[in-house]
Amino acid sequence: MAFIEARGVEFAYSPEEPLVIDGIDVKIEKGSYVAILGHNGCGKSTLAKLLCGIVAPTEGQILVDGINTCDGEQEFELRKKCGMVFQNPDNQLVASVVEEDVAFAPENLGLPREEIRKRVDSALATVDMSEYAKHTTHKLSGGQKQRIAIAGILAMQPECIIFDEATAMLDPTGRKEIAAAMKRLNKELGITVVTITHYMGEAIEADRIIVMNQGKIIADGTPAEIFSKVEQLKEVSLAVPQVTELLYMLECDGYQMPRGILHAMDAAEVLTQKLKK
Amino acid sequence: MLKDVTFGQYFPGNSLLHKADARFKVLILIEYIVIVLLANSAYAVGLGLLLTAFLMVFSGVKIRLLLKSVKPLIFVLVFTCLINLFLTRGSGAPLVDWSFIKIYKEGVRNAIAMLIRLLSLVLGTSVLISFTTSPLELTDALESLLSPLKKIKVPVHEFAMMMSIALRFIPTLIEETNKIISAQKARCADFDSGNIFKKLKAMVPILIPLFVSAVRRAEELADAMECRCYHGGKGRTKLNVMHAKLRDYIFLLAVTAIIAGVVVLNRYDASFIKNLIKDLVF
Ligand SMILES: Nc1ncnc2c1ncn2[C@@H]1O[C@H](COP(=O)(O)OP(=O)(O)OP(=O)(O)O)[C@@H](O)[C@H]1O
Ligand SMILES: [Mg+2]
Repeated sequence: MAFIEARGVEFAYSPEEPLVIDGIDVKIEKGSYVAILGHNGCGKSTLAKLLCGIVAPTEGQILVDGINTCDGEQEFELRKKCGMVFQNPDNQLVASVVEEDVAFAPENLGLPREEIRKRVDSALATVDMSEYAKHTTHKLSGGQKQRIAIAGILAMQPECIIFDEATAMLDPTGRKEIAAAMKRLNKELGITVVTITHYMGEAIEADRIIVMNQGKIIADGTPAEIFSKVEQLKEVSLAVPQVTELLYMLECDGYQMPRGILHAMDAAEVLTQKLKK
Repeated sequence: MLKDVTFGQYFPGNSLLHKADARFKVLILIEYIVIVLLANSAYAVGLGLLLTAFLMVFSGVKIRLLLKSVKPLIFVLVFTCLINLFLTRGSGAPLVDWSFIKIYKEGVRNAIAMLIRLLSLVLGTSVLISFTTSPLELTDALESLLSPLKKIKVPVHEFAMMMSIALRFIPTLIEETNKIISAQKARCADFDSGNIFKKLKAMVPILIPLFVSAVRRAEELADAMECRCYHGGKGRTKLNVMHAKLRDYIFLLAVTAIIAGVVVLNRYDASFIKNLIKDLVF
């Protein structure tokens, strides 16, 4: 069984308003690395909130590791399995001191002190912030704050972390830090990572991309598959990675170009081949 | 504009008072206030002053900083002293009798007593709490001290949580306010001229965006907290538990003994203070 499974999910913030999520069926396997793309307001954040049970679907159901997100009794179990990192690092840090913030989740779980200490230390080590344990949170850089937020979720030892535009407010350095952290969580700790992003550079790192438009999933596949459909993406006003765009433009000018090239080096390879001919 | 707002006046340090358990400091502050209010005779007041001096030394806070904390209160201090001096009507002949001004012995006594009391209160609170206890420690201490009230359904944990989140967001909101001020200035808002009403009116375009963003932040924070399994204080454990050491108990006991001392010394009141005033004035 898939780790997360959504069946016919619909959702509206209020009965009068139009559906924000309009019939979504999706399965996310354990240990996978999924990116969700879509233009502003297409319902990505809402989907993320549905997946970790902050809001309940108006229609259909979502199972996370077999737990229905509407099941109030197992709310706690669900939260432990699926954590979420939000866009604005300032609005998700609870405590003024780094280590107390990271301890927030295990404290809520009622763990014994030694266990909390262990989890805090190892979570901080995972995001490479151990030496900041006693620092004040508000004096850290954006990327560091976001890493603390990730550590705060890690301390819960979830099986899945959803990143809702976790890199959107960061500078390029911060963005790289977080992207690297996400990859490490997925590859080394085997945590299922779902990342919502507007940066194609981050999306191509994923194993799978889901494209949303107006509350529906309109494409689902590997990065190479998704970015082959340049026209379809342009239709829903999404960008493609720069090199894909370049090859696409050359194709439009009448050259024969392969689709689904994502990395600069691959593109360079293709182009030199063509030029040699 | 808000650059130099620091919350509280906490100075990190390593003094005896810094290291003392915050819960005990709160209790000792209460005892200290009792001492200051009870002390009536010169001996008792002297004992109180001695305690204040000890606390100041133990806090390791520089005298200059302490005087700074008193500075804004000078007007209040002088004013209450003068009121006491001029308005107290005593028995016996006035010491000074010049047209409508009459100063009696009791007036002098009240003025001095009032001055000492107010000064002690300010200094004591500063060294015991504001200068040597971080706001977070204080919140934790209050939560722990008030926890018996949970039995009668007082939401102690919730209040403490609110306090600590407020403390956490003060720097964030100050930063945001500065940004909004700059943004409004860039739109030619004028905050510095005009009378007080004009200035207050000029604050509106700062406060509204600040308020809106604070509400948005609160919503997001609530989601984030829920995601991290927050469900109120029930069944919650803590990473940092406060540890009372032997010296905290000794400290508390010593101050309690001083209360007793003050009560005893208060008996030696009347004759002694009269003599003191006589010596001082004549
Ligand atoms: N709390 C809310 N109450 C009512 N409507 C909301 C709420 N949050 C979002 N919406 C609406 O739901 C729709 C989808 O919003 P959502 O935040 O899921 O989009 P998104 O894909 O995350 O966009 P973005 O890329 O800008 O983050 C939008 O039209 C938005 O106006
Ligand atoms: Mg969003």
